[in-house]
Amino acid sequence: MLVLSSIGLWLIGGTAQAHVLPTTTIELDVRAAEIDAALTIPLSDLEAASGIDLGSAGQSGIDAHSSELLDYLENHFAPTTLDGRPWAVTFDELNLSSAEDLGTGIYDTLTTAAHLVPPAGADERSFDLGYDAVIHRVVTHVVMVTVRSDWSTGTIDSGREIGTVGVDSVTGDITPLTVHLDDGSAWQGFVSMVSLGITHIREGTDHQLFLLTLLLPAPLLVAARRWGGPARPGVAVRKIAAITLAFTVGHSVTLALGTIGFPVPQQPVEVLIAISILVAAVHAVVPIFAGREAFTAGIFGLVHGLAFSATLTELDLTGGQLAVSLLGFNIGIELMQLAVVAAVLPPLIVLARTRIYHPVRAAAAVLAAAAAAGWVFDRVGFPNIVADAADSLADVTPYVVAALWIAAVAVAVLLLRGRLVGTAGPDAFRKGEDRRQGRVVRGRAPRHAQMDRQGLVEHPQEVHMRVRHVLRD
Amino acid sequence: MVESAAGTAPRRQGRIGLQLSDLDDTRIVALDTLLQAVTGSAAGDGYDEIQQLLNADDYLAANGGGTDYGRGNYYIAFLGTPSDSGTWELQFGGHHLAFANTYVDGALVGSTPSFRGVEPFGTFEQNGTSNSPLANEQSSFAEMLAGMSTEELATAKLDSVYSDLVLKPGNDWAFPTTKEGVQVSTFTPEQKQLVMAAIATYVDDIDDADAATILAKYESELDQTYVSYSGSTGVTEQNDYVRIDGPSVWIEFSMQHGIVLSGNHPHSVWRDRTTDYGGTQE
Repeated sequence: MLVLSSIGLWLIGGTAQAHVLPTTTIELDVRAAEIDAALTIPLSDLEAASGIDLGSAGQSGIDAHSSELLDYLENHFAPTTLDGRPWAVTFDELNLSSAEDLGTGIYDTLTTAAHLVPPAGADERSFDLGYDAVIHRVVTHVVMVTVRSDWSTGTIDSGREIGTVGVDSVTGDITPLTVHLDDGSAWQGFVSMVSLGITHIREGTDHQLFLLTLLLPAPLLVAARRWGGPARPGVAVRKIAAITLAFTVGHSVTLALGTIGFPVPQQPVEVLIAISILVAAVHAVVPIFAGREAFTAGIFGLVHGLAFSATLTELDLTGGQLAVSLLGFNIGIELMQLAVVAAVLPPLIVLARTRIYHPVRAAAAVLAAAAAAGWVFDRVGFPNIVADAADSLADVTPYVVAALWIAAVAVAVLLLRGRLVGTAGPDAFRKGEDRRQGRVVRGRAPRHAQMDRQGLVEHPQEVHMRVRHVLRD
Repeated sequence: MVESAAGTAPRRQGRIGLQLSDLDDTRIVALDTLLQAVTGSAAGDGYDEIQQLLNADDYLAANGGGTDYGRGNYYIAFLGTPSDSGTWELQFGGHHLAFANTYVDGALVGSTPSFRGVEPFGTFEQNGTSNSPLANEQSSFAEMLAGMSTEELATAKLDSVYSDLVLKPGNDWAFPTTKEGVQVSTFTPEQKQLVMAAIATYVDDIDDADAATILAKYESELDQTYVSYSGSTGVTEQNDYVRIDGPSVWIEFSMQHGIVLSGNHPHSVWRDRTTDYGGTQE
């Protein structure tokens, strides 16, 4: 009975106070040799506790009283080791801001960052927080402490609460908070960076679209400045590998440069990425840099790498953590890229043998170009529905990939049964290609053509054998 | 134990029971009859106070608060089955108002915690009448402090700042072990009357007969009761705070800044160290 009534009252009480008072928040960023604490303190409680009247002058009021405020904060934020040795605390500039939590209305806040450095040899991951600003005087105030980032446990941008500091109403004393950070390791940090790289590409629709658009014409040969018949699978795979490798080298270079401090202009880079997709889309319709795909992929890789580096620079890492993160993040990017290529490539190589590949390729290129154009406008400052639709492409890709594989399997089966002749016009393109290869040409119908070991001429039986070769691979 | 059990209770927006907006006219009439039976009849307290508090929420809804506010969002709930034997509980509340009455074998054994707050604080027109909910609470505290001497006020004044209730909703079974402030045993009979008048603005919220019994008990414990305050004695400014802390009675009144409107508004609570939730903590 008593449990029942206390449940009821607990529920009631929770709704009686539909609005709550703002709390102080301390968000910890755990770095290699120090911990940064981002403080957000509601202004009115801070004034009541410190006795400093900031008036309603906004930021200039805070600036005018900054030395008093800093003194106050220094007196009320004194972390120590578990055996009582003090940490060093320094504060960045004090700023006026505002916040709104559920049910609080908008309220003014003081924000600053404190740098906490443990004494030499001390445990950096277990310490007494030593914080009683505001609550030493405003005994109804509450301080919430969270871990926002902690590289060696793989925590990035979280809000995990590790405790609160406040006055215990029973005793009237402040309950101190001892921070015990979870055990971390370089391995955990590394793994989380790999995961970050994978996620970055998985969610990076524009990067994926660039790579895929570049790969669209990769299984094809050039003939008379147009896209022609399919290359042999070996040739196609080598070409695709070269493109992917060049892209990887390109983005790895600028990822490293950007991460170690090379200045990266965000907006121009984003626009250039959209342009790179546009260029790749044009190339997918009409070969504009045939024979130089790998080189082009490498150049555009340099641009994409600058965008990747933004993710790492945000983490503000240094030294060994930075090096490990660079390696892990890049590996993650490569893994996801490989997955994308592996998912899309085999069906493309098979479908490249069919007559419909040309229009499908052109249609896909046009769609990619449309998405890219939408992004260009969006990223120079004109949001539009094309860009919005393009942003949601990621939702569609699994279905597209599935459709590709189904189509490819169907085509392979049909080719095996000889129902489908290989791509249109190997004879139409033959003369052009043969001339380029420096061979003397004699017109012959493909059915009776000599088998050419370089695979430039297609005989149905040769198609048949090659398809089986592909399938076996 | 409370929290884990509460987690399994069915609720909508953290509430159980019937929402007033779902009740038809017949049920609303029945609800009114029920509320009049379990609440006090004094002007400004009891049933009258509830109506004024509901009017205040309607006022907020119509003046910037929107659909989150208004009497339709309040609810009525029964735990157990109302009966002359056994245990059951009546709950009523919503924004700024919550009380629960626990009955055992037909007798009221628990009427706390009782939360009362209001925005707007002051006089306003709503639903055809003039309302000023919690006005007599606030004025009784101000009169109680005004009746104290300078020395008594110095003893009563708390060093700390209170921007909210100490035993706010959810902070149950957390009564301070040490009493702060000035002990009422040192008061004159007139001053003690003012303390009782302040206590009565909360106890008179429940039905007259039970209120009289409880007030008699609190009066008998006056000499061991303490009065304290923080901020200013006018009890009108943000962070003004008054507390009455006895062997049983616990009342807090906290003035806070406006949320929907500008202008300060109060939160307050009446708890009982021995009969919160109808009995002692398990």
